[in-house]
Amino acid sequence: MSDAIIRFEGVTKSYDGVTQVVKALDFSVLRGEFVTLLGPSGSGKTTTLMMLAGFEDPSSGAIMFDGRLLNHVPAHQRGIGVVFQNYALFPHMTVGANLAFPLEMQGVARAEREARVRAALDMVKLGALADRRPSQLSGGQQQRVALARALVFRPKLVLMDEPLGALDKQLREHMQLEIKHIHETLGVTVVYVTHDQGEALTMSDRIAVFHNGRIQQLASPGEIYERPANAFVASFIGENNRLDGTIESMADGVARVRLADGSIVAATPGPGVGSGARVTLALRPEKVRIGPDAGGENRFEARIEELIYYGDHTRLRLALGGGEDFTARLTFKDALARPERGDVIPVSWRGVDCLALAPEEA
Amino acid sequence: MAAPAAPRPRRSLIEASLYAVTALILFFLVAPIFVVFPLSLSSGELLVLPTPGYSLRWYEEFFTSNRWLLATWNSFVVGLATMIVATLLGTLAAFGLYLGQFRGKALIIAILSLPMVTPIIVTAIAMYFALSLVGLGSTLTGLIIAHTVLSVPFVLLTVLASLQTFDPNLLRAAASLGASPPVAFRRVVLPLIAPGVATGALFAFATSFDELVVALFIASPGQFTLPRQMFAGVREFLSPTIAAAAVLLIVFSALLLAINEMIRKRAQARGISSGPTP
Amino acid sequence: MSSRLASRRNVMAAALIAPLFLLVALSFLAPLATTLYRAIEDSDFSLALPKTSRSLQQWDGVALPPEEAFRSFVEELRQAQQDQAAGAILNRLNFEETGLRTLLLQATRASGRLAEPYRDSMIALNPRWGDPALWRLFKRATGPFTSLFLLRSLDLKPTDQGVAKAAAQDAVFLPLFWRTFEISLVVTILCALLAYPVAYTLSILPQGWANVGMMLVLIPFWTSILVRTTAWFIILQREGPINALLMAMTLVDQPLTMIFTRFAVYIAMVHVLLPFAILPLYSVMKGLKPDYMRAAASLGAPGWKRFLRIYLPLTMPGVAAGSLMVFMLSVGFYITPALVGGPGDQMVSSFIAFFTNVSVNWGMAAALATLLMAMTGVLVVVARLVVPGFRSGGVKA
Ligand SMILES: Nc1ncnc2c1ncn2[C@@H]1O[C@H](COP(=O)(O)OP(=O)(O)OP(=O)(O)O)[C@@H](O)[C@H]1O
Ligand SMILES: [Mg+2]
Repeated sequence: MSDAIIRFEGVTKSYDGVTQVVKALDFSVLRGEFVTLLGPSGSGKTTTLMMLAGFEDPSSGAIMFDGRLLNHVPAHQRGIGVVFQNYALFPHMTVGANLAFPLEMQGVARAEREARVRAALDMVKLGALADRRPSQLSGGQQQRVALARALVFRPKLVLMDEPLGALDKQLREHMQLEIKHIHETLGVTVVYVTHDQGEALTMSDRIAVFHNGRIQQLASPGEIYERPANAFVASFIGENNRLDGTIESMADGVARVRLADGSIVAATPGPGVGSGARVTLALRPEKVRIGPDAGGENRFEARIEELIYYGDHTRLRLALGGGEDFTARLTFKDALARPERGDVIPVSWRGVDCLALAPEEA
Repeated sequence: MAAPAAPRPRRSLIEASLYAVTALILFFLVAPIFVVFPLSLSSGELLVLPTPGYSLRWYEEFFTSNRWLLATWNSFVVGLATMIVATLLGTLAAFGLYLGQFRGKALIIAILSLPMVTPIIVTAIAMYFALSLVGLGSTLTGLIIAHTVLSVPFVLLTVLASLQTFDPNLLRAAASLGASPPVAFRRVVLPLIAPGVATGALFAFATSFDELVVALFIASPGQFTLPRQMFAGVREFLSPTIAAAAVLLIVFSALLLAINEMIRKRAQARGISSGPTP
Repeated sequence: MSSRLASRRNVMAAALIAPLFLLVALSFLAPLATTLYRAIEDSDFSLALPKTSRSLQQWDGVALPPEEAFRSFVEELRQAQQDQAAGAILNRLNFEETGLRTLLLQATRASGRLAEPYRDSMIALNPRWGDPALWRLFKRATGPFTSLFLLRSLDLKPTDQGVAKAAAQDAVFLPLFWRTFEISLVVTILCALLAYPVAYTLSILPQGWANVGMMLVLIPFWTSILVRTTAWFIILQREGPINALLMAMTLVDQPLTMIFTRFAVYIAMVHVLLPFAILPLYSVMKGLKPDYMRAAASLGAPGWKRFLRIYLPLTMPGVAAGSLMVFMLSVGFYITPALVGGPGDQMVSSFIAFFTNVSVNWGMAAALATLLMAMTGVLVVVARLVVPGFRSGGVKA
């Protein structure tokens, strides 16, 4: 806690004085950390980033940066690098001039300026393009320039708002690694915004999952994936089967949950749920076992509603527990020969793989 | 069944007559302007065609007459002063309107561009009354104020138009890189809207340089501008000097037009808007 | 509003807008407002004859005013004459009723000889002084406001019994406004008709030719209005090139009178304003995707139908925007009619100038200006309502 570089304390934001787009935000980012804000469109990620950069100010609460109250410091005095989604490179300046700009603002002498600009361009492998204009660069090259410009003045913190959003898939994956490497080399703190969960999972030290202006969970990628704090996180990260029910009883860390059709499922209770609570069961399709002799204490008979061929596996849509959207994966290992639509098959899963989570707020 | 080729000749007939009509109308637009060229070179005393012979005497007359020289001087002084003040105030106000996040922007723009839609004669008499009241009637200062008010809407609107294509993220980027608002304006905004500003400035100059009605009311002979002097000439003593003055004005306008086209072409090449076409 | 950042931005914005706003407010809005105010203000009488004004204001207006009013009238009139301050009030009253100047001058000249009771001696001087209607007219002139100028601009006049038609020889303003409207309308229609084919041709020509054509439109556009009007003045005069040509071809045996006619006004105004109609139309046509016409063709519409049903409606906003600009500018035209028109071709502007400079009747100048402004204002409003996306901008007047 002592080495937190950013602290949000009870920060709220409303643009119109009526709707709060960010609600009671409390979190810290550690020095050198790579934290990703992940969430659906409109969940308040950009707004949070804008408050940090100084382009919007909080309606209430405090933002601390390096032990200093940041709220009323103008953006140009914060010394925080920003990479914009559309890069925001100055079109009338060459690449070199774009990079030299922040150094000029800091009053860095010309010789050192040139050296640092060259070093920064080399870092993003664009050493040869210093004299081009941004409009003469490809999207990926512009992205690198934007990255170099946000880093060249050695800010302690760099913010990136969907920096790879405009790139194609292959380039995006390549840049993810490159950004990760730069982060590791420079040791700079990064707050990164994306709504691509894959990106968040590969790059981050920690992920803050946003929904409706609140952080639903702030944890490492593994923990977010394996132990989602609530039904929203579970469904937003990766694929999940959802079954609604009520906890009948709890014993030895196992909850017995009654589903809509009356059947009982053994599940692992998530944080903050107790006996009698309405819960949403979250079960990843890959944890569902198919076939008569597959282990697992929860055993059901399910009718196949639809088969979808995916190459390395076939996806089954099953009627189970009162619903018709239960998904399971059929791989070649599974001992079931050529199932057909309408077949009734045995499925099972383990209680430890199935989480009973607080349902999503309405 | 009709031959499919049948409409072809009729079509080209329509096209031909369209081109002919267009050519005629364009001729109507430019020909009168060129009528004054031979007249200005006349060796005779009268403004009639055909001229008895050719000479440069009327240009000589123009360049040796104190009245015409004073009028030329006044026109440039008033035009340049108007251009500077209108461009400065108009550009700053346009940027303010771009920055501001308040209601009633449209109303402010409407008020500021009111001088453009007010009948010029009304503006002229209002200025005449007001400037005489504060002792600025019959002064170049008064004329400059009046012309600035008349031409500032053009600067405002062209700069606003080029700001419309200005990405607000560039301002944020500049701030995140440590530029204070004035520095960001100078280093990032101004270079990008420069074509719009230049077009506005040119328009402001041209507006002042061509303006006659306000000058009719405000200027005494000491403040006569070129149009005012020409008007006096047409009204009082028709001599080919007027044609010579007209030719000089036409050449100068063409020069302004050429500069404007150059600005537009260069801005286009750089992918920046220079505001509305004219 | 709660946000400090937003309010800091707005403070900055306000500081940037303020200088221009102040300039426009002080040197345009304020002068305009005071000018329009002159249309209803009436202080000549009460300034020159303060005591008379006071007693007339107390008078019930039925029988003749009291002797006191007559006395101060004679004394103050004499004083005003000595101070050379009588001119304004003579003009003001004579404007309301022709002949009052003579009556007042007679009284002024005789004022030394007039003795008490002034009422009787004045009536003896001229029986008109015994007419209560005359004194009611004076009472109306004591201000501070009057409807006289605005009513006169509409060929009406205030009377004891309310509003009446102005005398036939004074009823020149409605025909004047009508003439202004008629000239503007004809010019607008001519401009629209001429602009359409030009803009269309320029929009379909290959770029090189289109640029040349555009130059031919822009050169006159940038050339001073006065220069162009002067050119027409030269061309249309009796000894001008057109007459010379016609005579040489022996089509006419004596020069035609073209200068100082309505014809000259039309042709010069159309010439001056045509670019304003072409430019917006051209940009609409240039921006029109050919897909619409192709779609119409694929749907089986023949050429003329495609034009009438698709092209014309789609380019109508350009016609409307250009026409409005032309009409708005026409309504306020001054120089062109003044130079190439005859006395019967002058528009409202010329009368405003006349009342300002020549007859120095600023109330009347202001009243005509007010009505002209109102006419333009109605136009702008109609323009905004009728034409989608109409902006009154981007052109020089
Ligand atoms: N300037 C603004 N004025 C008013 N409302 C705004 C403004 N900016 C954002 N909002 C609203 O605030 C909410 C949060 O927006 P924000 O941009 O923070 O979302 P986001 O998480 O970044 O979404 P996305 O993934 O689409 O970028 C949205 O409902 C949005 O409509
Ligand atoms: Mg966003």
